[in-house]
Amino acid sequence: MPSLTKTSNNSTTARERIADLALATVPYLMVIPGLIFVVGVLGYAVFGGFVLSVHATDMFLNKTFVGLQNYISVFNDPRFQASLLRTIVFVVLSITLGIVMSMVFALTLYHVGFARRFFRGMSLVPYFVSGIAAAVMFRFVFTTSGGFVNYVLQQIGLPTAAWLGDPYLAFMVAVLANCWFMVPFATLILLGGLQTVDRDIYDAATIDGASGIQMFFQITIPMIKPMLGVSLIWVSYISFSTFDIIFALTAGGPQRATEVVSMYMYRIAFLQLDFGQGAVLMVVLLSFNTVMSLFYLYYFVLADRRLEKEASP
Amino acid sequence: MATSYVEYRELTKRFGSTQILHGINLQIEESEFVVLVGPSGCGKSTLLRMTAGLETINSGEISIADRVVNRVRAKDRGIAMVFQSYALYPHMTVADNLSFGLKMNKTPLERITKSIASAASILKLSQLLKRLPAQLSGGQRQRVAMGRALVREPEVFLFDEPLSNLDAKLRVGMRAEIKALHQRLKTTTIYVTHDQIEAMTMADRVVVMNDGRIEQVGAPLEIYDRPENLFVADFLGSPAMNLLSGKVVHNDGRMDFELENGIQLPLPDNSALRSDQQIIYGIRPEHVAFTDDDNGLPVNLTLVEPAGWETHLHADLSGISLRLLSVERVGARPGDSARLAVDTSKLHLFDPTTGRRI
Repeated sequence: MPSLTKTSNNSTTARERIADLALATVPYLMVIPGLIFVVGVLGYAVFGGFVLSVHATDMFLNKTFVGLQNYISVFNDPRFQASLLRTIVFVVLSITLGIVMSMVFALTLYHVGFARRFFRGMSLVPYFVSGIAAAVMFRFVFTTSGGFVNYVLQQIGLPTAAWLGDPYLAFMVAVLANCWFMVPFATLILLGGLQTVDRDIYDAATIDGASGIQMFFQITIPMIKPMLGVSLIWVSYISFSTFDIIFALTAGGPQRATEVVSMYMYRIAFLQLDFGQGAVLMVVLLSFNTVMSLFYLYYFVLADRRLEKEASP
Repeated sequence: MATSYVEYRELTKRFGSTQILHGINLQIEESEFVVLVGPSGCGKSTLLRMTAGLETINSGEISIADRVVNRVRAKDRGIAMVFQSYALYPHMTVADNLSFGLKMNKTPLERITKSIASAASILKLSQLLKRLPAQLSGGQRQRVAMGRALVREPEVFLFDEPLSNLDAKLRVGMRAEIKALHQRLKTTTIYVTHDQIEAMTMADRVVVMNDGRIEQVGAPLEIYDRPENLFVADFLGSPAMNLLSGKVVHNDGRMDFELENGIQLPLPDNSALRSDQQIIYGIRPEHVAFTDDDNGLPVNLTLVEPAGWETHLHADLSGISLRLLSVERVGARPGDSARLAVDTSKLHLFDPTTGRRI
C-alpha cells in the first residue's frame, strides 16, 4: 500500500499541477473586473470627495488648498447644526417606525397562508416606485385642500390639518413617506430571517409554556438577529441619505422643518456651488453611515452567538 | 384508578380535505413504552403532535391520566417532547435550554438549579452546560433535547423520531440509553419511528400504523410472529417476508400451495383452506433454508449479500424471486443452483382480497 501512495504522488505531472492552480485561481480572476469597477468608481468618488473637502473651489472648478477651513465653516454654521439635529431625529424616528412596521408586516406575511405568493409579491410594490413618485403620491394624499387624508377626516367629522404646511406635521409626513419607501425591502429581509427558524423550535417553546410575546422576544428576535442587523443597516442608510423623497415632498420646507443634511448638502453644493463645503457634508454623511453600519454589523451579525464554534473541551 | 394512562377515543384529524387519522382507538398503560411505527405519512407523527397539543383535534378524545386534554394547552398537559430536529434554542447555552421551560413556568430558581444538575448528571451533560448547541455533537444535542424533556418531570414522554438524524453507530447507542432511561424513570412513553428495528428493540408494545389507521397492536415478537394482515407482515422484518401469490391444490388427500408458475410448496393441515382457494403464502427469509433433500425447491441464486453476522440471499424459483437469510456463512455464489426447504410450521397465510390472516 505505501508504494501505491508514493507512485500516485510521484505521478502528479506538471500539467496536473497547472490544472489545479487554474482551478483555484479562476474564481478570483472572475471577481477581479467587478472588484476593480466597484473600487474604482466608489474609491474615486470618495477619495475625490475627501480631496475636494480640503479645497476651496470657484465656478471654474479651480482648487485652492484651504486645510480644514471648509470643515470649520460647515460645523459652525447654525443651519448645518440644525439640519444635523433634524437628520438625527428623522433617522431615529424612521428606524423605530420602519423596523416596527417591517417586523409587523414580515410576521403577517409569514403567517399568511392563503394566496401567500400574491401577498408577498404585492408587499414589494412600494419599493418599485421611485422615491420621487412616492413623494408626489404623498403630496396628493396629504395636500391641505383636496388631499385624501383631509377628505376622509372631513367625512367622518374630524378637524383637518395643513399636513405639509405645518412644520411638525410636514416632518412626520416626511418620516412616513420615507418609511413607505424603505419598509418593503426591510420586510423582505426580516421575512427571510423568519423563514430560517425551524418550526420545531416554536413547538418546543409552546410546550415549554412560552407565550406569544415571550416567544417573540426570547426566540424570534435572537434567532433573526443577523437579518435584523442587515435590515437596520438598510433602514438607517436610506434614512440618513434620503434626498429624493424630501426634495419632491417639501423641498426642505416649511420653514426648513424638513431640511435634513442631504437637502442642506444639495443647497450648498448645487445652489451655492460651494463644492468644497458640499464635499465636507458628503464626508459627514459617509462617516455616519459607516459608523452605524459597523455598529450593526458588530452587534447583530458578528456577535450572533450561534456562530460561535467549538471552544476548548 | 384506571389502568390506561393515555387513551385515544375515536380520534380523527383532517388537513383540509385530506383525512390523516380515521378514528384512532388506543389505550396506553402507565409506565408503558409504546412505539408508533409505520411508513411516512401514516399519521403517527400527527397523532403524537395531537397528544402534545401542537395540533388541533377534529373529533374524538385524548385523555392523559384520566383527564380529557382536548382543550388543555400544551404546557399544561403534563407532557414533554423530544423532536427529530432536537429543536434546541440555538442562541442559548445548554443550561438555558434546559431551564427555559422552568423559567417560563416561574419555577423558583433553586429548584431550577437542582433540576438542571440532576438532569445533567443523568444525561452526562454536566461538563457541557455552558456550551451552545452549535458547539455540541449530534449525540450531545440529542441528550440536551432529552434533558429539556426530563426537567419538566412529565407524566408522559413523547419522542418524535429522535434518532433519525444520528449516524448508525450513535443511533444504536442512544437507543439503549433511551431504553435504560425509561427503565430507570418508568415514565409512560410514546415513541414515534419509521425504523422497525427501533420499534422492535425498544417497545413494550408496538402500534403499527398505516394510512391513518392502526393495523395491529401488540408486543414486538407477538406482532413479528403473528402479523394480523399483509401490511404488517410486509412492513415488519428486514429483509421483508416473502409473500407469494397462488392457490390451494389437493394432492392425494394432502394440501399443497401452487404458485402461478406451477411449482408447488408444502402447506400444513389447515381446515380453513379449500381447494382452488387463492391465498398469499408468507414465509420469512430466515424460515427458508438450504437442503440436501432432492425433493427441495430447485432455485438459482441471483444475489449473495454477506453482512458478517448473517447472509442475505436472493434466489430465483422459476421466475419467482425469493429472499433467504442464513446465519451460517454461505459459500455459494450468484449463478449457483441449490435446493431449498420451507419450514411449514412458520408459514403465514393471508386472504388476498381482505389482506387478513387466515
